[in-house]
Amino acid sequence: MTKSRTLSLSVKLVLTAFFMVTVFLPIISMFSKINWATIGSIVNTATFGQTVFNSLSVTICATIISVITAYLLAFAINHSRIPCKGALSILITLPMLIPSISHGLGLINLFGENGLLTNLLGIPSNLYGFNGILIGSVMYSFPVAFLMLSDAMKYADETIYEAARVLGIPKGSRFFSVTLPYMKRPLISATFAVFTMVFTDYGVPLSIGGRFVTLPVYLYTEVIGLQDFSRGAFIGLLLLIPAIITFLIDLRKKDNEGMGFASKSIRIERNRLRDILLGLFCVLVIGFVLLVLVSFAIMTFIGKYPYDMSFTLRHIQEVMDKGLGEFFSNSLLISILVALIGTVVGYITAYVTARTESRVVSRILHLTSISSLAIPGIVLGLGYVICFSGSFLYGTIFILVLVNIIHFFSSPYMMAHNAMKKLNPNFEDVGKTLCVGRLRLLRDVFIPNTLDTIAEMFGYFFVNSMITISAVAFLYNTRTMPLAILINQLEGDMMFEAAAFVSMIILLSNILAKIVIAGVKKFCKYRLAK
Amino acid sequence: MEEKLQVSRLIKTYADKTVLNGINFTVHNGEFLSVLGPSGCGKTTLLRILIGIEPFDSGHIQKDGEEISNLPPNARGMGIVFQNYALFPNMSVLQNVMYPLKFQPKLKKNAKSIALDIIEKVGLTEHIGKKPNKLSGGQQQRVAIARTLALSPDIVLFDEPMSALDAANRVALRKEIKEIQAKFGITMIYITHDQEEAFSMSDRVIVMDEGNIVQMDTPYEVYHHPANDYVEQFVTCHLKEKISSIQESVGGVR
Ligand SMILES: Nc1ncnc2c1ncn2[C@@H]1O[C@H](COP(=O)(O)OP(=O)(O)OP(=O)(O)O)[C@@H](O)[C@H]1O
Ligand SMILES: [Mg+2]
Repeated sequence: MTKSRTLSLSVKLVLTAFFMVTVFLPIISMFSKINWATIGSIVNTATFGQTVFNSLSVTICATIISVITAYLLAFAINHSRIPCKGALSILITLPMLIPSISHGLGLINLFGENGLLTNLLGIPSNLYGFNGILIGSVMYSFPVAFLMLSDAMKYADETIYEAARVLGIPKGSRFFSVTLPYMKRPLISATFAVFTMVFTDYGVPLSIGGRFVTLPVYLYTEVIGLQDFSRGAFIGLLLLIPAIITFLIDLRKKDNEGMGFASKSIRIERNRLRDILLGLFCVLVIGFVLLVLVSFAIMTFIGKYPYDMSFTLRHIQEVMDKGLGEFFSNSLLISILVALIGTVVGYITAYVTARTESRVVSRILHLTSISSLAIPGIVLGLGYVICFSGSFLYGTIFILVLVNIIHFFSSPYMMAHNAMKKLNPNFEDVGKTLCVGRLRLLRDVFIPNTLDTIAEMFGYFFVNSMITISAVAFLYNTRTMPLAILINQLEGDMMFEAAAFVSMIILLSNILAKIVIAGVKKFCKYRLAK
Repeated sequence: MEEKLQVSRLIKTYADKTVLNGINFTVHNGEFLSVLGPSGCGKTTLLRILIGIEPFDSGHIQKDGEEISNLPPNARGMGIVFQNYALFPNMSVLQNVMYPLKFQPKLKKNAKSIALDIIEKVGLTEHIGKKPNKLSGGQQQRVAIARTLALSPDIVLFDEPMSALDAANRVALRKEIKEIQAKFGITMIYITHDQEEAFSMSDRVIVMDEGNIVQMDTPYEVYHHPANDYVEQFVTCHLKEKISSIQESVGGVR
């Protein structure tokens, strides 16, 4: 008894210390770099004002379009009678499998000066700048909003709709009086999440921003190009603001949100017109997504569109010469390590916060774990450079692994936390009375019953580590460079075809990973149900 | 009569709230004792303290004349069946019952035969390979009882074991629990909301209110000579509730 107490206490202490060093220390050291005396002179420049305006205007527009698109898609999947909903949902989330920078690249492929579509249709290209960032940001963010909204709709309780029908609320106003209020919280969450995502992303603006500079790009050039950490940290602070607001809003939501279980699934009324319109919308959005993804393949295998239309493997050779094999194995190694270590740490942390009594420590660990969500990758990366640049970790692959674990920690942690909260609250008590210790229960009961969650956590860490550039951009060197960064370099060298090929490799790796994870989950479900 | 368990001056407080207010009672060997009381009166807390998974402020718990309040739960010779049974969902009936035996150095070798024997006694032999989610509520309850009995406790505690079941099953299962008690010759302490259940099963009944025992007596005495207005009201009001719910379910059938 006392032995297990000591063990659990030391686990908690180790975890707390781990998060102190990996989350708070970097952020604090970043802020300590800000030289407030010089900030005034930055803020007062016209460039700075223009940059803030650029960032805000494009982020607000992208957020509105992205959330509306996501809402319509989620509505189509959950409240209409269109066929093949499963397949459609998968296709809708495909954009989450490529780096944000690839979205920019895909748009260049399609709509650039010599883009596939601009050329085909003979329309002038007006992509670089606001337009490009807007479309790219929407592409990159709407699947996330879709998942959030679709989840909320899935768990919507039929009884509220029944009540509305019984009360005779007409169909039209039912949307405003029932659906919208019910979806208010998820909508607010999704809006802020998308805003933060777009506001802090620099993959898209870097690739098609042109002279339209946004805050993250500004930060990136200040730090990477000019080595001005004070300025970089100050912009990092600005980028952290919407992220913190998002975090606080989600915190309130998660705290008073019980486990959403529909007591009755939603009854969907027949309505042909609705189904046709929504179905058409789904097809349009998915068509656009696929167009971008297919453009990678076309670009890869064609000499030089539109001048040289012959089939070629030349671009693949170019990427090989650049060291594809090495960067690819870097990426795989990083992603697998992140997935392994991240899943273990996330699972243990979730076990501690979901299944042990000591409220204060659990609470602190829980808040810390979900707060990593609030830190944009770019800010985290900057914090890590400042904090760890002298340490033994710096320049190794492990700093990339570490920063990714923290960057992507919160979602898998919540998956494990929720899964363990759902398991019977009396297991530990049963264990105590039957002389079965916590570790044995963990091995024989908790892990076997949450294998599908573990697979899901692993997949989340893996896929995101494959596509991320934001945090790692500050921390890689020529030996440890991951594949996604190569896209940026190839674009810089105007080797768009080669960059398209790299995007395709990342996409295919992630699709493969997703398929494997889905298979593992199916198998776990099957074994549990047997 | 032999005294099996003796609880004296048991006090339990949470932060600002007294949940058990100096409770005294004695349980006889082989007795079936029910604890009745409204929600929040401290029934679950009492059970958890008895088995040792909840600390308490002061008082004594003696079993067979010996103080057990400092023993860990698994050394008290008691078992508990939780409201939701807490069966391990990934394990079959046999595995559930065998699992705790695996960690008993003395029983490890015979784990399977012990488990098979108990499963037979509770009448689950034909379901032995099934996972809990393939069993009915009553069957799940019997697995939970079997799992507890595997470590041969001489007192088994029940925390509202029927509340997850529908009305028709409950009546049938009362008899089963009593049969199991007779078969294994154990003492049972049984928590319930339902006075009819308590009266029909028990040798004696404890009626609790806000951390105090207001009456402890045979069902006959409690029913015919309630100690005070509170007990009387509690007994009759629940009876009325029962009747109206029976009327409702009869009406629902037609
Ligand atoms: N961990 C705890 N912290 C603070 N108060 C608690 C805790 N556990 C129980 N209580 C309080 O102690 C009182 C008794 O709770 P207990 O669960 O024993 O009641 P009960 O009689 O079993 O009720 P029910 O019939 O609803 O199961 C309640 O007021 C409850 O709110
Ligand atoms: Mg209770």
